[in-house]
Amino acid sequence: MANKLLSLNEATKTVNSGSNKVTLLDNIDLQVTEGEFISLMGPSGSGKSTLLNCIGMLDSFTGGGYTFLGEPVHSMKEKNRSKLYKEYIGFVFQAYHLIDELNVWENIETPLLYKNVKSSERKALVADMLDRFNIVGKKDLFPIQLSGGQQQLVGIARALVGKPKLILADEPTGNLNSKQSTEIMELFSKLNKEGVTIIQATHSEDNASYGSRIVNLLDGKIVS
Amino acid sequence: MLKNYFKIALRNLLKNKVYSFINISGLAIGMAATIMIGLWIADELSYDNHFENKATIAQVYESSSNNGEIDTGPAIPRPLEFALRQDYNDNFKHIVMSSWTQPRYLRFGETNIYRQGNAMQEGGPEMLSLEIVEGIRDGLKEKNAIMLSKSSAKALFGSETAIGKIVKVNNQDDLIVSGVYKDIPENNTFNDTDYLIPWKYYITTQPWLERAKTSWGNNSFQMFVQINENTTMEAITAKIIDVKKNASPEEAEFNPQVFLFPMKDWYLRGDFENGVQSGGRIENVWLFGIIGLFVLLLACINFVNLSTARSEKRATEVGIRKSIGSQRGQLIFQFLSESFLIVILSFVVALGIVLLFLNGFNNLASKSIVFPWANFMFWIVSLIFIVITSFLAGSYPALYLSSFNPVTVLKGTFKAGRYSSLPRKILVVTQFTVSIALIIGTLVVMNQIQHSKDRPVGYDKEGLIQIPVMSSQFVGKHETMRNQFIASGGVVKMTAMSSPITNVWSNRSGYTWEGKPVGFQEDLAHTTVNYDFVETLGLKIIEGRGFSREFATDSNAVILNETAVKYMNLTNPIGKLIKDSDVDDPNPEPPLKIIGVVEDMVIQSPYSPVKQAMYVFEKYGNIAFYNLRLNPEKGTSENLELIESTFKKNFPNTPFDFQFVDEEYGRKFRSEERIASLAKVFTGLAIFISCLGLFGLAAFVAEQRTKEIGVRKILGASVSQLWMILSKDFITLVIISLLIASPIAYYIMSQWLQKFSYRTDISWGVFLIASSGALIITLITVSFQSVKAATSNPVDSLRTE
Repeated sequence: MANKLLSLNEATKTVNSGSNKVTLLDNIDLQVTEGEFISLMGPSGSGKSTLLNCIGMLDSFTGGGYTFLGEPVHSMKEKNRSKLYKEYIGFVFQAYHLIDELNVWENIETPLLYKNVKSSERKALVADMLDRFNIVGKKDLFPIQLSGGQQQLVGIARALVGKPKLILADEPTGNLNSKQSTEIMELFSKLNKEGVTIIQATHSEDNASYGSRIVNLLDGKIVS
Repeated sequence: MLKNYFKIALRNLLKNKVYSFINISGLAIGMAATIMIGLWIADELSYDNHFENKATIAQVYESSSNNGEIDTGPAIPRPLEFALRQDYNDNFKHIVMSSWTQPRYLRFGETNIYRQGNAMQEGGPEMLSLEIVEGIRDGLKEKNAIMLSKSSAKALFGSETAIGKIVKVNNQDDLIVSGVYKDIPENNTFNDTDYLIPWKYYITTQPWLERAKTSWGNNSFQMFVQINENTTMEAITAKIIDVKKNASPEEAEFNPQVFLFPMKDWYLRGDFENGVQSGGRIENVWLFGIIGLFVLLLACINFVNLSTARSEKRATEVGIRKSIGSQRGQLIFQFLSESFLIVILSFVVALGIVLLFLNGFNNLASKSIVFPWANFMFWIVSLIFIVITSFLAGSYPALYLSSFNPVTVLKGTFKAGRYSSLPRKILVVTQFTVSIALIIGTLVVMNQIQHSKDRPVGYDKEGLIQIPVMSSQFVGKHETMRNQFIASGGVVKMTAMSSPITNVWSNRSGYTWEGKPVGFQEDLAHTTVNYDFVETLGLKIIEGRGFSREFATDSNAVILNETAVKYMNLTNPIGKLIKDSDVDDPNPEPPLKIIGVVEDMVIQSPYSPVKQAMYVFEKYGNIAFYNLRLNPEKGTSENLELIESTFKKNFPNTPFDFQFVDEEYGRKFRSEERIASLAKVFTGLAIFISCLGLFGLAAFVAEQRTKEIGVRKILGASVSQLWMILSKDFITLVIISLLIASPIAYYIMSQWLQKFSYRTDISWGVFLIASSGALIITLITVSFQSVKAATSNPVDSLRTE
């Protein structure tokens, strides 16, 4: 029996640009159950990234309801919200966004620091990740010394190390060549089978086909 | 977590070497300056701390009023002692009469030394808690005793025991050493007291000292007291304030007020203005304290500016951290710990700088500060200092950097807003305002010193020396000595005086003269002088003549200075008589006939008007100095050799001691010159730190505008146009700073100049120099970066996008 992970009810996001009010997301209704692998598709500017950011609680909806694991996110204080996403959500970015001054090992360790995980446990968890992604040999390298695909592997490892329920990936293969892309998508697929819920934004039909469901966005609305 | 933060901080420091260098060196210099000033302030504040009884020791001061002007000073008359002992003795633990600190010759066998010291009553050594190395502390009880400091004992007896040895004082009397005390450390009153002789002995050395016993008008002594535990200085002052007034009807018209001046105020708050305590060295403590804080502030501003200017580089990291679970508080903590790390590094460098320059600083400030390695308090204060500096430098960047929104910064569209550089501009203006104000201040101080040095002194101070001849072996010898000195060829003229040329040791009142206004309370500088006074010193006669051997009556003659003639309201002064007004005096002084008027000579402060002075012909042997005009035909060292050998022939057991008058006069500028040289150093540092920050900012701006410069270049802008564009903003900031700093500095420096009655104006030149200096320095600093940016190849700069 799959549990409901999150649900959006008429979620809306508007911003003021000068004197105009621009609607970025328009009455989004979306239910996500645990174990799903959803691909958000749509042209540039259709609102994919905004939707991901809002689901990931980096940004917030300006209207409508957002429930995550039964808790009403829209009426939550910043502090509780941050606790929630720290616990359950991991991000993967198109531009990897590793911290340049930290090496691979330290980059993966950082989320655990924010979760106040004990040192011995941190070591075990990070070592586990390195092992799992076959990057033990690279643990002392800095991001600048890695290829794009390797950087993205580290990015995913970092997102996974805190054992999140949900991975949000914004164009995770956008900066990679096709071989690297396939590797990353296969990895996602494998993770999904192990029980991690994934929502990815993508332009590529190929990538989208790895998912269990496709949500099409156009001008901030779900079209199918 | 902290480890992670420090790791990031260190890697950032290593990655951006230029910024790190600017930050750390700027902060280190600022901190070093603050530490040195801190040490200096601690040293000033600890003055006299050597004395265990500091809290209960006081000196008795007297204020008296002359023509509505109140003078305050430590000189008191002898009868005051008897009055206090008789009626108020139970308030005091010790009452100690003391002479002024004077040099005396001390001889043991062939060894002869010339040392400063005091005559004191028995309680002195105990009151001052002298640490005895040999003998007894109660060593002034016997009339023929003497106590010596360890260094003078060593100079006289070497390693032999001192106690019981007989010392010949001023080649005259034999005193037996009763005690040897540890030298009193440098930053204490009495630090030059190298011997103590008994008061009982001192008052027998000259007849006038005995006569002074009953004279309330003879303020020629000092009195130190230690009060009892159960009372206060104020309470005692309230009781004794009118003692002199009530005891002496003749003195009552001057309204003498006797009060206790506590030891804790002697050094720092020793100025009195019209009878009211009005600060003193404490003002310099404040002044340099403020300058120290400013220098530190400037360094902190660099840190703030460079961190916020580089914010775009750190923005991504902030975004990532926030997206993987960091809260804002944690980021603030991270950035604060980064600044803490930098401040600690800077502190270590600062300690190195302090150690390196402490000697130079000591010379400059004439201090002997030792680095307080073992002082626990120093390290505690340093820690607090580090924390405060970290907050000062780090809190704004921490708040600013941690506020970024992860969505915007991670999208890569983050650009600092239009007004984000405003705080930076304000801070740069603050820096330059402080620097420019310091430049103006320093220039005014230097101008004032130069102005006073250029003041005509009224006599020829070059090629003039004075030899102290205060002991009785010299009495009556000066005519013989004059002839021998001149015969030696080293000297062309000589006179003798009762005070040094650069000071007034005696002031007198109690005269009448024709035309004296009714009720006028005169106060005249009184110096006795000998033949050739006018000629030796090179004074200019305005009326009449100098003392002459051809007129026997000149033994009762007097010469006045110009100011005295005006002060005494004399018309046609020559030939007029000045009489002793004390009609009851059984041996009245014969009237003094005015034979000449000379141009004013600057004797006391070069910053004050010349005091009314009378130069009375010396007839009682009251001579303290020989004044010798060196032979201009010969070299100085040759002259001095001739003088010394003549001196030695006549006084073989007396060390030859002399002073160049121009050097003595130069000493009067010492404290102001010290301020000027310290001010120069700190102004230099302030400018340097500000420029360091500007250099960093210019580099940042040039980098930020690389693309704009590339585009402009392609559109045909010349290097000089680009240089203008890049430099313009900074020049505007400096001009704003100038507009703010000038009036503030003008106001403060006019206040400072009020201290001096002989003072310079603050001229436009000062502002002109400060302005052009600041602008030129700014242009040079900024141009390093702007020229580099303007000459770079646009193809390279545009490709980076």
